[in-house]
Amino acid sequence: MLHHEHDFILPNNAALSIRCRGKRMIDFKHVTLEYPVTRTLALDDISMHVGKGEFVYLVGHSGAGKSSFMNLVLKRALPSKGEVRVAGEALAHYRGGRTALLRRRMGTVFQENLLLPHLNAYDNVAFALRVTGVAQREWPARVTTALRTVGLEHKKYALPLQLSQGEQQRVAIARAIVSDPPLLLADEPTGNLDPDNSREVLKVLQNVNLRGTTVVVATHARDLVETFRHRTLTLRKGKLVRDDPYGGYAL
Amino acid sequence: MTYHFRQALVAMRGNFTATLATLMTMTLTLLMLGFVLLLTLNVNRTLEQLESQVEVAAFLNVGTDGAALLKQVQGFPQVREARLVSSEEVLEEMTRDSPYARDAVTLVGNPFPTTVRMRVGRVEDSRVVAAAVARLPGVGDVEYGAGYVDPTVRALTAIRAAGYGLVGLLLMGTLFNILNAVRVAMYARRNEISVMRLLGATRGFIRMPHVIEGVLLGVLAGAVALAVLTPAYFGLARRVQLLAPVFPVVTDPAVLAPILGGVALLGITIGLLGSLFASRRYLQELE
Ligand SMILES: Nc1ncnc2c1ncn2[C@@H]1O[C@H](COP(=O)(O)OP(=O)(O)OP(=O)(O)O)[C@@H](O)[C@H]1O
Ligand SMILES: [Mg+2]
Repeated sequence: MLHHEHDFILPNNAALSIRCRGKRMIDFKHVTLEYPVTRTLALDDISMHVGKGEFVYLVGHSGAGKSSFMNLVLKRALPSKGEVRVAGEALAHYRGGRTALLRRRMGTVFQENLLLPHLNAYDNVAFALRVTGVAQREWPARVTTALRTVGLEHKKYALPLQLSQGEQQRVAIARAIVSDPPLLLADEPTGNLDPDNSREVLKVLQNVNLRGTTVVVATHARDLVETFRHRTLTLRKGKLVRDDPYGGYAL
Repeated sequence: MTYHFRQALVAMRGNFTATLATLMTMTLTLLMLGFVLLLTLNVNRTLEQLESQVEVAAFLNVGTDGAALLKQVQGFPQVREARLVSSEEVLEEMTRDSPYARDAVTLVGNPFPTTVRMRVGRVEDSRVVAAAVARLPGVGDVEYGAGYVDPTVRALTAIRAAGYGLVGLLLMGTLFNILNAVRVAMYARRNEISVMRLLGATRGFIRMPHVIEGVLLGVLAGAVALAVLTPAYFGLARRVQLLAPVFPVVTDPAVLAPILGGVALLGITIGLLGSLFASRRYLQELE
């Protein structure tokens, strides 16, 4: 009953459908995550899927398992039970050194922007292309496009410390999308931001979504979830307790 | 590649003490190794020369069957060659060396016994052979060339063994230093590494600057070691040739080049292997 096929949104772009087999971007089948060291049950028998091109909120109290969800998709943690598939591919497929290939298919944004302090905005974004071996001649066009998407084309030479927190977070988003991943994961992207900057960042994430990227946002920010309405998954103590197709914040 | 190279240089400058410590132990190791190798080379050369000269001589009692004894002696595995020298021949030799010997003979008769002269395969064997031959019936006295050979050989062998032992220890020290340098460098950029992982960098990509750092340290240490070792060796060789020309000091570049080159190459190899190992291990640790 938590399953549902989503049909709002958006022009799926062609490249995306090639890269993603099937209609599901994220697919959890009876996934349980118990952290091995502390034996904390972080996620308890979660089954759900996120379709290509969706924009989904993940809400829940602190400790409900939002970051754990992200960790599973990122393969930073392995499920104790069940199966996680991303873009049609079981994560077990990305063994050892191939984890890098999985990560290339998703952009990530966290509460801390994780920008490299010694690099300016342009270089921080280009860093994502560098580490994945994209030819240098492609950088200027792609970085510029990404910075334009987040509205920071004019600040490309600024160092992170010379940018506001909201701007820093937008640079982080630009870095996450510069390699055109089909999926963007944002874990509390507005956690450090004031309301204005939060809205700004959320608009940027919606814009990214409008380009065809699947976006998952874990957040505490009730006002955002209620202002910019999207499908909302609610976690409570590791269980998926609500799946609202049209949004709404009800813990 | 230029990126990785730059990153390696940044890391080396950033962790200057660790880099310097590694460089120093590494250079010291290579110097020591070069020293031991060159010493061994020259010791071997000297021993070869001694071997070609050292003789064991057995003086036979009067009336002993020289031919039979020669056969027996030739049966010893350590004996390379042996020949029988009659007392007349010995007298001939002595006369050639000192003409007065002939006069002495006219007074007392030929004092020289029939002699079996042997050459041994290795200098170290001369003592054993001498002892064995002395026990044979009919053998009066045994002499073996140059009593100095024995202690010399033993001392040099000991020095060589100690040298290799020291090189082994230093190699281990070098390796630990490389591991430490890579570890420090990786921890210094662990934020960057975790970002890289999230962005989908391969392990190889993340490890590359550290491997380059290791190789670079090897190249540097090798270069410094050669720069010190080569002139020092030739200087010493010149002096030995001047002061003690009996020692056959090796100065042939065709012989020395592979040894010195090998020392430098070993430095690079240690740098490469150490950093490959360390970067893999500490990357796992960081995850
Ligand atoms: N690496 C870890 N090792 C062990 N336990 C963990 C780890 N990460 C999280 N946990 C535990 O798992 C549970 C879920 O944590 P998680 O970080 O997923 O919550 P969250 O919903 O992201 O919370 P928040 O809103 O505070 O970020 C918590 O009880 C937490 O203590
Ligand atoms: Mg969290």
